Amino acid sequence: MLQGALAGLAAGGLYAVLAVCLTLMSRLVRVVNFAQSATGMFGCYVAVFLSVQFGLPTWLATVAGILLGGSLSALLGWIVSTWLAEADTGTRSAVTVAVLLLLISLSFILFGNKPQPFHPILDGPAFTAGGVVISQVTVVTVVLAVLVALASRLVLTRTSAGVELRALSERPTTAELLGIPAKRLSVAVWAVTGVISTLVISIVAPSQSNDATSLAMLVVPAAAAALLGGFRRLDLAVAGGLVLGLIQGAAAQVDGLSVVRYFLPFGVIVALLLWSQRKEVWDAAR
Amino acid sequence: MNTGRRLGALLAGVVLTAAGCAGAESGSGGPIVVGSVNALSGAATFPEASQAAKAVFDAANASGGVNGRQIEYKALDDKGDPAAAAAAAREIVDGDEAVALVGSSSLIECEINTEYYEQQKILSVPGIGVDPACFTSPNIGPVNVGPFHDMTLSLLYGSEVLGLTDICALLEIAGNTLPSYQAAIDEWSAITGKKLKYLDSTVPYGGSDYTSYIVKARNAGCKAITVNPVEPDSIGQLKAAQAQGWTDVTWLLLTSVYSENYAKAISNAGAGVYVPAEFYPFTDAGSSQNREWRELMTRNGIPLTSFSQGGYLAAKYFLDVLRGITGEVTRESVTRALREMQPISDPMVGTPYVFGPGDTHHANTAGWPIKLASGTNRWELAAEDWLRIPARN
Repeated sequence: MLQGALAGLAAGGLYAVLAVCLTLMSRLVRVVNFAQSATGMFGCYVAVFLSVQFGLPTWLATVAGILLGGSLSALLGWIVSTWLAEADTGTRSAVTVAVLLLLISLSFILFGNKPQPFHPILDGPAFTAGGVVISQVTVVTVVLAVLVALASRLVLTRTSAGVELRALSERPTTAELLGIPAKRLSVAVWAVTGVISTLVISIVAPSQSNDATSLAMLVVPAAAAALLGGFRRLDLAVAGGLVLGLIQGAAAQVDGLSVVRYFLPFGVIVALLLWSQRKEVWDAAR
Repeated sequence: MNTGRRLGALLAGVVLTAAGCAGAESGSGGPIVVGSVNALSGAATFPEASQAAKAVFDAANASGGVNGRQIEYKALDDKGDPAAAAAAAREIVDGDEAVALVGSSSLIECEINTEYYEQQKILSVPGIGVDPACFTSPNIGPVNVGPFHDMTLSLLYGSEVLGLTDICALLEIAGNTLPSYQAAIDEWSAITGKKLKYLDSTVPYGGSDYTSYIVKARNAGCKAITVNPVEPDSIGQLKAAQAQGWTDVTWLLLTSVYSENYAKAISNAGAGVYVPAEFYPFTDAGSSQNREWRELMTRNGIPLTSFSQGGYLAAKYFLDVLRGITGEVTRESVTRALREMQPISDPMVGTPYVFGPGDTHHANTAGWPIKLASGTNRWELAAEDWLRIPARN
C-alpha cells in the first residue's frame, strides 16, 4: 500500500504544479484555465517535432517548446483580457474550453495520432525509500510544486507587482482607474503559468503516456486538487495534488479499488463541491 | 394542380425505382462493388488497411479487371462510433449493392455489424479484425491472427522458447474483451500446463501514469509481463519500469506495438520486447516474402505497417476467389465461392487462409517472433520460422 502510494507521487507532483497554476489564474485573472495542460502539451509536441525534423539538441528544443507554451498562453490571455475584460469568470473560462479542444485537434492534424519519440530530460531512479524506487522525475515535480507555490506567495505578498495583481483581481475597474496596467499584468500571469505548465509537462511527458488527449486532460485531476484550496489557497492546492497522486497510487494496488482509481478525480470534485455548498439554501445556490 | 403534383410524384417514383433496379442489375457489365468499414478518424485510426486493399484492386483494374469487369472499392469511415459503423455498413451493403466487404479494419465494426451481415447474406474478409466478434461470427473471416491468438502466441514464446517463469498479465480491457483474453490465456495453460503468476485486468486505457501497476507487478515477483496495449500506453508502461530502475523484465506484447514509431520511442526495453508479428515482419527490408507487397505499397505511398499487410492480403485472397467464379459475379455467387474456397497459402503468413463453411472463422494462427532490444531502436527477427499454436486433441 505504502509502496503504491509512493509510486503515485510522480503523478501527484505533476497535479500539484498544475493545480498551483490553476489557482494562480483563478485568483489573479478570474479564469479557470481548462487549456492549462493543453498549452503545455502543444509546446512539448512542437519541441519533439523540432528535435526530430531539424535535429535540434533535446535541451534547445525543450526550451523552444517551453517558450512557445508561454507565448500561446500569453496570446490567449491577451484575447481574454482584451475582449472579455468585464465578463464574469464563467464566460472567461468557457473560452479556454474551446482552446483546449482546438489544441487537441490541432496537434492531431499537425503531428498525427501516433506516439511521439520523446527524449527524456530526466530518467531513472533517484533513490530508494521503503523498498520503492523514487524516480528523478518524482523528486523534481514535487520540489517544483512546492517551489512554485512558495515563489508565488512571496511575489504576491512582498512585491509591488504582487500587490497590484491582487488589487486587479479584487476590483479590476477600480485598479485600472488608479492607473494599474491591467492588461499587461494579466498577460504576464498567463505567460508565467504557461511556461510553468509546459516545463512540468516536458519533464513528465517522456516517462508516461504522452498522447495529446491524455496530456491535455491532466487538467481534470489538477482541477480536483485546486478545488481543495477552493481555487484560492496555494498551499492546499499543492497538498491536494500530492494527496490525490498518493491515493491513486495506493488504489491501484488493490484489485477491487483500481477501477475506482480512474474516477477518483471526479469523485473528489463532486465531494468537495457538495461539502463547500453544504450551507447554501436552495434558492441562493441555484 | 393536385393532379399535376400526383403525376410528378408518380414520375419521381418510377424514375427512382428504375434507378434502384439499375443498381441491383450490376450483375452483367458494370463494376463489381466491394466495400470496407474502417477506423479512418477518431481516437485510434488505421487507414492503411483499406488503402492497401484499394492499391491491390487498382492494380487489378489496370491490368483489365476481373473477367473484363472493373472493381469499384468503397472504403467508409466508422469514426470509432457505433452509429457511424452501422450506417457505413448499410450504405455499402444496401445502398451500393456490394458483393462482399474486403480489407476492413476497425475496433468495433464486427461487433456492431455481424448480425446485419447475416441478415443480408454478405461476407466480410477484414484485413485487421480486432474485437472478439470478428473471430466468432459466421459471416466474418479476418486474415490476421487477432489480439487473442496473438496473446497465446506471445505467452508460448515467452514460456517455451525464452524459458521464462513468473509471467504476469496486465490487461487493458475495453468493452467485452476480457473473456476472450481469458480464453487465450487458458489456451496457453492447456498447451503448456503453466499458469500466470497473476492477472490484473484493471489497467486503464490511456492512463497517464502506470508507475503503480509496474510497482505492483515488480513486488509480486513477475519476471515477464504480457500486455495487450495500444502504442502510447505501452510506451508509458516501459518508461515507468525504466524510471523504477527495473531493467530485467521481459515484455511479451502483441502486434499492436509493432511499428517503426514505437521502436524509435523506446530506448530502454528492459530485457527485451517480444512480439509475435501477425504477418511476416515488414521491418525485414530485404525479405522475399514481402517483396511484392513492399513494392506495391512504396509505389502508392502507403505506410509499411502490419495494417497495410492485412489489407493487402485480404484483397489478394479475395481476387483469387473472385477469379475462380464461373458465371455471374453476384453477392450469392461470391458468398458461395468464399464458403467453398480451397485454402490459399502465402509466404506473408504462417497458416493458409480459408473462409470456409464454419460458424466461426479463425484461419490465421501463426506469428513470426520479433524482438526489440534495449538501445537498438530497431525491431529484429527473433526466430527462423513461424511460431504456430499447436492443435490440441
